[in-house]
Amino acid sequence: MRNMNRREFLWNSGGGLGGIALASLLQQESLLSAPNQVAPKQTTGVLHHPAKAKRVIQLFMSGAASQCDTFDYKPKLIQDHGNQWDPGEEVKLFQSSPGKTLKSPWKWKQYGESGKWINECVAPLGDCVDDIAFVHNMVSKSNVHGPATFMQATGFILPGFPGAGSWVSYALGSMTDNLPTFVVIPDPRGFAPNGPANWSAAFLPAEHQGTLIRPNAKNPISNLFPQNAGFISNKSEKAVLEALKKINRKHEETRQGDSRLDARIRSYELAAKMQLSAPDVLDLSKETKQTLKLYGLDSTKFEVADEINERSEINYFGRNCLIARRLLEKGVRFIQIWSGADNAHPRRNWDSHEDIKRDHWPLGRGMSIGTAALLKDLKQRGMLDDTLVLWTTEFGRMPCSQGSKGRDHNPFVFTNWLAGGGIKGGTTYGNSDEWSYKPEDPDSPTYCYDIHATILHQLGIDHKKLVLRNNGIDRRLTDVHGHVIHDLIS
Amino acid sequence: MNHFKLLLLATLSICAILNSFMEVHAADEKDQFFKDHVALILEKNCLECHNGNDPQGGLSLETKAVAFTGGESGEVIKPGDVDESLLIDYVTGPDPEMPKKGKPLTKKEISLLEKWIEQGANWPDQLTLMEPHLKKSNWWSFKPLKQIKTPVLSSGNQKKVTTPIDAFLLHRLQKEGLSFSGEADRRTLIRRLYFDLIGLPPSPEEIQDFVSDENPQAYSKLVEKLLASERYGERWARHWLDTVHYADTHGYDKDKLRHHAWPYRDYVIRSFNQDKKYSDFVMEQLAGDVIAPGDPTGIAAIGFIVTGPFDWVGHIEISEDLIEKKITRNLDRDDMVSVAINTFQSVTVQCARCHNHKFDPIMQEDYYHQQAIFSAIDRADRLYDADPVVAKKRIAWTKKKTEFVASKKKLEDQINQRTNGRLSQLSAEIQELSSGKMGQSEAFGYHSQIETSDKIKKWVQLDLGKPVSVKEVILVPAYDDYNNIGKGFGFPVRYTVEASNDPKFKTNVIILSNHVEKDEKNPGTSVVAIQTNGKPFRYLRMTATKLAPRNNDFIFAMGEMKIINPEGINIAKRAIVTSLDSIESAPRWAKKNLVDGQYYSFSSEEAKQRLQKRSQERELLYQKTVTREEKSLLTKLSDQIVKVESQLKSLPPQQPVFTAVTDFKSQGNFKSTKGIPRPIFLLHRGSEGHPIKEIGPAGLQLVDGLPSDFQLKKNHSEGERRLALAKWIVDKNNSLTWRSIVNRVWQFHFGQGIVDTPNDFGRMGALPSHSELLDYLAINFRDQGQSMKDLHRMILLSTAYRQASTHNEKAAAIDGNNQLLWRMNRRKLDAESIRDSVLQVTGKLNLKMYGPGYHLFEIEKPQHSPHYLYEKYDPNTKASHRRTIYRFVVRSVPDPFMDSLDCANPSQTVPKRMQTLTALQALSLLNDKFMISMSSNFATRLQGENKNLDGQIKHAFQLALGRAPSAEEQDLLVTIAKNHGLKNACRLLLNTNEFMFVD
Repeated sequence: MRNMNRREFLWNSGGGLGGIALASLLQQESLLSAPNQVAPKQTTGVLHHPAKAKRVIQLFMSGAASQCDTFDYKPKLIQDHGNQWDPGEEVKLFQSSPGKTLKSPWKWKQYGESGKWINECVAPLGDCVDDIAFVHNMVSKSNVHGPATFMQATGFILPGFPGAGSWVSYALGSMTDNLPTFVVIPDPRGFAPNGPANWSAAFLPAEHQGTLIRPNAKNPISNLFPQNAGFISNKSEKAVLEALKKINRKHEETRQGDSRLDARIRSYELAAKMQLSAPDVLDLSKETKQTLKLYGLDSTKFEVADEINERSEINYFGRNCLIARRLLEKGVRFIQIWSGADNAHPRRNWDSHEDIKRDHWPLGRGMSIGTAALLKDLKQRGMLDDTLVLWTTEFGRMPCSQGSKGRDHNPFVFTNWLAGGGIKGGTTYGNSDEWSYKPEDPDSPTYCYDIHATILHQLGIDHKKLVLRNNGIDRRLTDVHGHVIHDLIS
Repeated sequence: MNHFKLLLLATLSICAILNSFMEVHAADEKDQFFKDHVALILEKNCLECHNGNDPQGGLSLETKAVAFTGGESGEVIKPGDVDESLLIDYVTGPDPEMPKKGKPLTKKEISLLEKWIEQGANWPDQLTLMEPHLKKSNWWSFKPLKQIKTPVLSSGNQKKVTTPIDAFLLHRLQKEGLSFSGEADRRTLIRRLYFDLIGLPPSPEEIQDFVSDENPQAYSKLVEKLLASERYGERWARHWLDTVHYADTHGYDKDKLRHHAWPYRDYVIRSFNQDKKYSDFVMEQLAGDVIAPGDPTGIAAIGFIVTGPFDWVGHIEISEDLIEKKITRNLDRDDMVSVAINTFQSVTVQCARCHNHKFDPIMQEDYYHQQAIFSAIDRADRLYDADPVVAKKRIAWTKKKTEFVASKKKLEDQINQRTNGRLSQLSAEIQELSSGKMGQSEAFGYHSQIETSDKIKKWVQLDLGKPVSVKEVILVPAYDDYNNIGKGFGFPVRYTVEASNDPKFKTNVIILSNHVEKDEKNPGTSVVAIQTNGKPFRYLRMTATKLAPRNNDFIFAMGEMKIINPEGINIAKRAIVTSLDSIESAPRWAKKNLVDGQYYSFSSEEAKQRLQKRSQERELLYQKTVTREEKSLLTKLSDQIVKVESQLKSLPPQQPVFTAVTDFKSQGNFKSTKGIPRPIFLLHRGSEGHPIKEIGPAGLQLVDGLPSDFQLKKNHSEGERRLALAKWIVDKNNSLTWRSIVNRVWQFHFGQGIVDTPNDFGRMGALPSHSELLDYLAINFRDQGQSMKDLHRMILLSTAYRQASTHNEKAAAIDGNNQLLWRMNRRKLDAESIRDSVLQVTGKLNLKMYGPGYHLFEIEKPQHSPHYLYEKYDPNTKASHRRTIYRFVVRSVPDPFMDSLDCANPSQTVPKRMQTLTALQALSLLNDKFMISMSSNFATRLQGENKNLDGQIKHAFQLALGRAPSAEEQDLLVTIAKNHGLKNACRLLLNTNEFMFVD
C-alpha cells in the first residue's frame, strides 16, 4: 500500500475484497470507532458484537400506506364512523380540513396465537403475525413525501445522505463477488419521490449505492451487457478482455507501487463474474409451480398497467419478492423493494387522498400476498432466522376522511413492522392513541432512528460507532439519535 | 442642630464612605477570584452539558441568575453553605456523579469551589460562562497569516528550487533525508498539463511539437498556452461547481427542471477564463447584484447562493400555517449558509444549527447570524438582460422614465391640490371602473372538494331564515387564474337552480332553472340572471350535475349568489350557506365568500354609465383648473414618457435566470419577501417549534483580529447584509479565506491538499502537511493580485510538479502517502475528463461553449414529477457531444454512466471527489451505450484517416494514449481487429488503465 493510504485503498477496492468486511478492517485501525475505544477482538464478519441477522429486506410502501386500514386496529373508528372527528385539539392537515371519522372500508379479524387484529385488505399476512413485531407509534419529522421518504430511507429529511443499505454495505461488505451488496427493486411504474437519491451512496464510496434491478426491463441491470452492439459477441468479448488484461499488466509492470492499477484489472474480472451469475438469479423459470403459486404468480410475464389494479399488484410484488429471495440466496445483503411510484395521476402509489378503497385494496392485496409468501418461503428454507424483514412507509394517514373516501397525511403516527433476523415475533411495541392519530404516549414515540439502530444491532453493528466523517462532520445513519428497541428482540 | 451632632454625622458619613470603599475593594477581589478560578473550573468541567442552549437536567451554569435557580433537582448552590450545596456533592466522593464525561475534579479544584461557596458564592452579574472551545481558541487556521521567508536549503537542494514552493517542500523532505524525484519526460509532462489544466488529452501533433521543441522555455510556453485556452475555464469551473453543488434540477420529491440555472455555470467558466481577481469572484457571488445593480454578471453570479436543492412541495404547496413551512425555509437557508461558509471559509458552521459547535468556537447564535444574512432570499427565476449593453440601456432609460413620471406626477399633484383632491378621486374611480376587476378581492367564493370524475353531484344552498318573496336570482361565476382558467372558474357544465321550504329539497321543490339535459356554454364573466315567479321561499339550492374541469380533475365553484327581493335589494348577503362539501381554503375559498358581495365582474351597464359620467366631470374640472403652460408641460412630459417607453419596448426581451431573488412572481404558497428579511430566531435544539430570540446578521467570531460586527445601520437593506458578509470574507485579515482558496487550487493540482479536508479547517479537520507553505501561498496570493493563473504558474512551473510519478522504495517506506511530495501523484481521470477525452479521441468533440445544458436523457411526464429516462438517450445526438460540463445535471436520478465514474453528487457539496474502482464501473466503461457508440465512431475515424489496419492501430494508440504501440501491443490489437473488427480494438483501448490514468 505505497501509493494510497490504507483507508483509501480499502475504499478504492472494497468491492473486490469478497467476504472481508471493509468497516471491520477500518475499525481494527480505530478509524470507525471513537478514538479511545478499544477495538474488540476481531473475527471476520463481526463488527461490534455477534450478529443475529446477516441480511435485510426493506419493503417500502411509497406514498404513505394507511396504518388504520392495515395493521393498526381501532374499534373507536368503527364506533364513531360518520361522526364529526374531534381529537380535542386543532388539527392542521397537509391538504384538507379534517372530515368525519372514517372506519376502514374492510373488516378486521384476529390471527395467530398472538391474536393480532389484521385488516382484510392485508389478510394474507394473517398467517405470519406470530413472526412479526409491530410498531404502531412511529412518527415522522416531515409531513411531505420527499423529505419523509428520505427520512425512512436515509435517516435525514435532507437530500445527500446514504441509504440504510449503503451503510450496511459499507459496514459489512459483500458476501459474494458475483452480485452487488445492496440491491434496489423499484416499482415497475417508476421511482418513488426523490428517485435514486433514496439509495444513493452519497458520501460513502460509490460501490455502496443501491444497484437497481428492474425485472420487467429489457435490461434488468443497466450495462451488465452491451445493448444493440452488433460488433460484440461472446467470442470477441473473451478475446478483448484477455488482451486488455495483457496490456494493463504490461502497463502496471513499469509502474510499481500503485495498487489502484491492479485493483482496476481485478474489477474487470469481478465484472465478468457478475455477468455470469446475475441473469441466472433473475430467471424464475426454475422455480416450481408450487413456489410460483405461493407468490401469487400464474405467469412471470406481464405488462405494466397505468392504473392500479389488483392482478397487476399481485404480479409485481409477488415477482419482486421472489426475486429478492433468490438474490438473498446468492449472497446479496440488503434489498429494498418499493411498492408505489411518484405522486402523479392516475394514482400509482399509496397516497390515497381521494379514495382509500380504490387504491389501498389492490396495493394491499399485492403487497400482502407477496410479503406473506416471502416470509413463509424464507422460513421454510431456514433463512428467516438470519434475514430481517422491515415493512415501512414514509408516514401514516389520518383517522378522519378527506372528501368522503380518502385520507390525508398523518406524520404523527404510522406503523412499521419487523420480522425474522432475531426479532421477537407476535409482539406489538408502542401503541397509537384510540384514533390512531398520535402515539398513545406522546413523550416516547418511535423514530426511524430507533428502527435503524435496532436493525444495525441485529447485524452486529453499534449504530453509534458506524461513523464516517464527511466535510468535517461525523455522520451516522442514526444522526445523533436512536435507541436499540430491546423489546423487539427475542 | 448642635455642633456635636453635626460632627457625629460628618464622621459617620466618612465612615460610611470608607466602608463602602472597602466593600467595593473586597467585591473586586471576589470577582477576580471567580474569574480566575471558579469560572475556569465550571467552564472546563460543566458547561458542555449545562449551558443555556441545552441544559441537561434543567441546569445551566451560564449566568448567575440561572445557576442560582438550579435545575430539576432544585438549587445546587447555597451561598455560605458547602454541605447544603448539591454542586459540591455531585463532584466529590470516591465515585463522583459529575462530570458525566471526562475526569473527576482534582482536590484543588474542589477546594476552590468549596472556598467560593463558603465565602458567599459571589458571581459577577454580567459574567456569562461558556464552553472553553467556544472562546477564541488556539487553533492554527484561526490565527493571522504570518509573513514567512522561504527556508534555507542545502546547496544540492537549493539547485532544485524553481519556484518558492519547492523550497518549502524540499526543506521538509530534507528533514526526512528525502528529496524530489527526477523530472518526468516531456510526453508525460504534456499529458499531465493537458489533463490538469484543460481536462483533455493533447493531440498527437501537439505532443510531437512539444517533445521536439528545443526551446528551454518550451514547458512554460505550454503552460501559458493552456492557461490562455478557453478550455481551461471549462475544466476548472467544474471543480468549483462540485464544491458549490451545482445542478440543473430542484432535487427532492418532484425534482423538477431548473431551466435557467446555467447562467451561473457560465459565469464561473468566464470568471476562470478572465482570471478574475479572487476577491471580486467572492464579492460577485454573494452580492453581485448589490455591487453593480442591473449588471448581468452580478445577477448570474449570485446564482451561487441558490445552487442547492429546492423543496418544491415545501415551498409551493404547503400552506403558511403548517410548521413544515418554517422547517422548509430553515433548511433552505441552512443550505445557503453552509455553501457560503464551507466554500469560502472552510469551516463547518452548519454544525451549530441545533447546538453550539462541539469542536470549533462557533456558537449557535453565530450560526443564526449567518441565516439572517440570507433571510430575504429565495431560489427562483427572475428576468434580466444577459447582454450588458442592453442592460445598461434598460437601466438608463428606466431611470429617465422614472424621472419623467415623477415630474409629471409632481405637476399633477399640484393641480390636484387646487381641486381639493377631487381630480384624483375621479381618476381613481375611473381607473377602477375601467379595469373591469371591481369586486374581486382575496375572497373568491365557494369551491367544492376536488373530484377525479365530473359525474359527482354537488350542491350549495342558501338559507334565508324564513320564506321571502324573491324577484330574481343572480349567479356570478368565479374567477381564478389556476391552470390559466380565469373566467367562469368552476362553473358547472350542467346544473339546476331550485327553491324550496324544505332544507332537504325533498318536497315542494320549485325548479327555477334547469340545465341538466345538455352541456352549457361557460358564462365566463357574465352573470346568469334567473327570474322567479315571486312566490316566497326560504331555501335556494344550486346543484351541479356535471362538474367543471380544472386540471385533470373536476370541481364546482361560484363567485357569488345574489337573491334580489322586489325592492331590488340583495337579501342573500344575510343567508347562511351550506353545501355537500367545500374545500374551505381561506382566504380565497369559503362557503361564506359566496354571499360576501365580493366577486369578479366586468363593468356592468350601470358601471358603464357611471364611467361616462365621471369622465365628463373630470374633463370639465381639468379644463377649468389647468393653465395653458401646465397643459403644454404635461403634454411634453407625456410625449417624453411615450418616447422612452417605446425605446424600452425596442429592447430585446429579458431572459429568465435562476438566481437569488427577493422579488418574483408568486407561485402557490411561494411568495417573495420583496427584500424584507424574514425574522430569524435562535432555535432551541434547532427546532422551529421553540424559538428563543430574534437574531440579526453578523460575521463569525472565529478569526483573531477580525471583528464580527457588520456595523450595519438600523434600516439597512437585505443586500447590504450580503455585501457586508462578502466584505468580511475578503477582509485582508480573514486568514481562513486565503488559506482556503490556495489549498483548493493546490489539491486539484496534486491530488491532495496541504490540508486534506478542504471544507474543514476546524478541529475535526486535518492538519496542514506544510503550514508555512500554506501561509506563504495565502499571503502571496492575497497581496499579489489574487490571480488564480499566477497561483497555477507558481505550482506548475515548480520542480515539485514536474517530477516523475515513479515509485521509490526508500521514500515510500518513510512517507507512503506521498504527503511530502517526493514524487508526483498519478491521477485517475475524473468522469468528465473520461467522457470528454473519449469524445475528442473519437473525433466527435464539439467545442461550442455556454448556454442551456444538453440532455443525456429523455423526459416523460414533466407535469408532476419528471421521469428522467437515460435509457432513451441516443449517444449519437450531436448536441450531446459538447463538453461534459455543459450537460444538464439531474439531482435525483444521476446519469448512470457519470455516476459510476464517481462524478460529484450534487445533493452534497463535494470539495474532493471519491475515487472508486468497482465492477460496476468496469461494466459501464465496457458496455454503456456511449462507450459502445464511441468505439464505433473511433473506428470510423481511424478508417477514414488511415489506409491499412496497421496504420489504424498505430494512430489509435497515438490518439488515445499519446504514444506509439510496442510491437507486442501492435500485434495484439491487429489480431483483435482482424478477428473481431476494429471497433473491438477501439473499445479495448478506451478501457485501458493507461487511458484512465495520467502519470
